[in-house]
Amino acid sequence: MIKRNNLCFYLFLASLVTGCGGYPSIVSLPYDNRGGNINGPATETFPKIAPPYIVFISDRNGTQSVYLYNSQNRRLVDLPGLNFLDAIASSPCISEDGRYIAFVANRNGRSSIYLYDRQTQQRRNLTENLEAEVRNPSISSDGSKLVYEVARNGHWEVTIINPLQ
Amino acid sequence: MKTGFFRWSSRLSLLFLMTSCGFNSSSLAPGSLNGRYNNEQVALSGNGKWLALVTDRSGTPQLSLYNLTEQRFVDLGEINIDGAIAESPSLSRTGRYLVYISSLEGRPDIVLYDRITKRGELLTQGYKGWIRRPQISPDGRYVVFETSRRGQWNIEVLDRGPYIELDVLDGSPVTPPPQ
Repeated sequence: MIKRNNLCFYLFLASLVTGCGGYPSIVSLPYDNRGGNINGPATETFPKIAPPYIVFISDRNGTQSVYLYNSQNRRLVDLPGLNFLDAIASSPCISEDGRYIAFVANRNGRSSIYLYDRQTQQRRNLTENLEAEVRNPSISSDGSKLVYEVARNGHWEVTIINPLQ
Repeated sequence: MKTGFFRWSSRLSLLFLMTSCGFNSSSLAPGSLNGRYNNEQVALSGNGKWLALVTDRSGTPQLSLYNLTEQRFVDLGEINIDGAIAESPSLSRTGRYLVYISSLEGRPDIVLYDRITKRGELLTQGYKGWIRRPQISPDGRYVVFETSRRGQWNIEVLDRGPYIELDVLDGSPVTPPPQ
C-alpha cells in the first residue's frame, strides 16, 4: 500500500514529467479585478515584451493609455508624464533595456508618435512637423532606430529615423 | 564546347547579377522601399538590421522581410502559402525568429519561423480563444499576444522553454540552460 506522502510525491513527479514536455506553455500572469495589474476586466491590447517588461495599452481608467508591467516583481511600473488625459494611446513599443517607450497618441483626429525616456521621465513628439497620419512605431533594442508608417500619396509608407538625435 | 558554354553562361549570370544589383540598390533604397506600394505592420529586429512588413509589391499583400543594411528584400520561402493569410509579423534580436499570425480557413494561429533551420512551428495548436498581435521577445524565448480567452481582450505570454536556441548577438556570452 502506498502511503499518503509517497502518493503526493509520485503525483508531484508525474506533474514534473508532464510539465517538462509541455513547452510551449502559457505563463501565468496576474489578474486583478480592480485594474491594478497587467490583466483585468478592462481591455488590454498591443502587448510588446522585452523581459522583464511588457508594455501594453489598457482603457481601465477611462482613457486608452500606456501601461508597463514588470514580470520580476509581477507589478505595474509607474510611467510619470507619459500618458495624456485627452489622447488615445496605441501601439507602444519598448527598447530592450526598458528605457525608451515609443507610442502613438491620437488627439482631435491628429496622430503623433512620441518617445518617452524612463530615465528623464520626458516625452517628446517625434512627428510634430508631419502633416500626415502615422502609426505602428517599432524600436530597435538600443533605441537608436525607429520605424513607423506614414499615410502619404494614398498608401502607407515606411519611415526610418534615429529618435535619440 | 561545354566549357565554352559554361563560361558564356557564367559571364551572362555575372552580368545579370551586376545589373540586378545595380537595379536593386537604386530602386529599393529606403525612400523607394515604399514606391507606390502599401507597406504595413512594420516590425524591426532588435539589432535594427531587418524589417518585417506586409507589402503589396507583388500584387497581393504578402509578409516580407527587408534587409535594411543591404537594402533588399529576402526570400521567406514558403511562408506565404495559398489559402492562408500571413500578417502581424515580429522579429527577434537578430531576425532569426519571425513570429506572425497565419489564418487558415479564418482561424488565426501563431507561427514561429526559424530562419536558420528554415522551419515553421505552430505555437497555438489547440489554444482556446481568439488571437491577435503576437510579438516575440528579443531572445526568442517568449511570445506575447492578445487573447480573447476571457471574453475580452487580455494579454497572454507563451514560454518556449529553457531549451530553445536563444537569439543572441555574435560574441555574447552564452549561459547553459538550467538543469
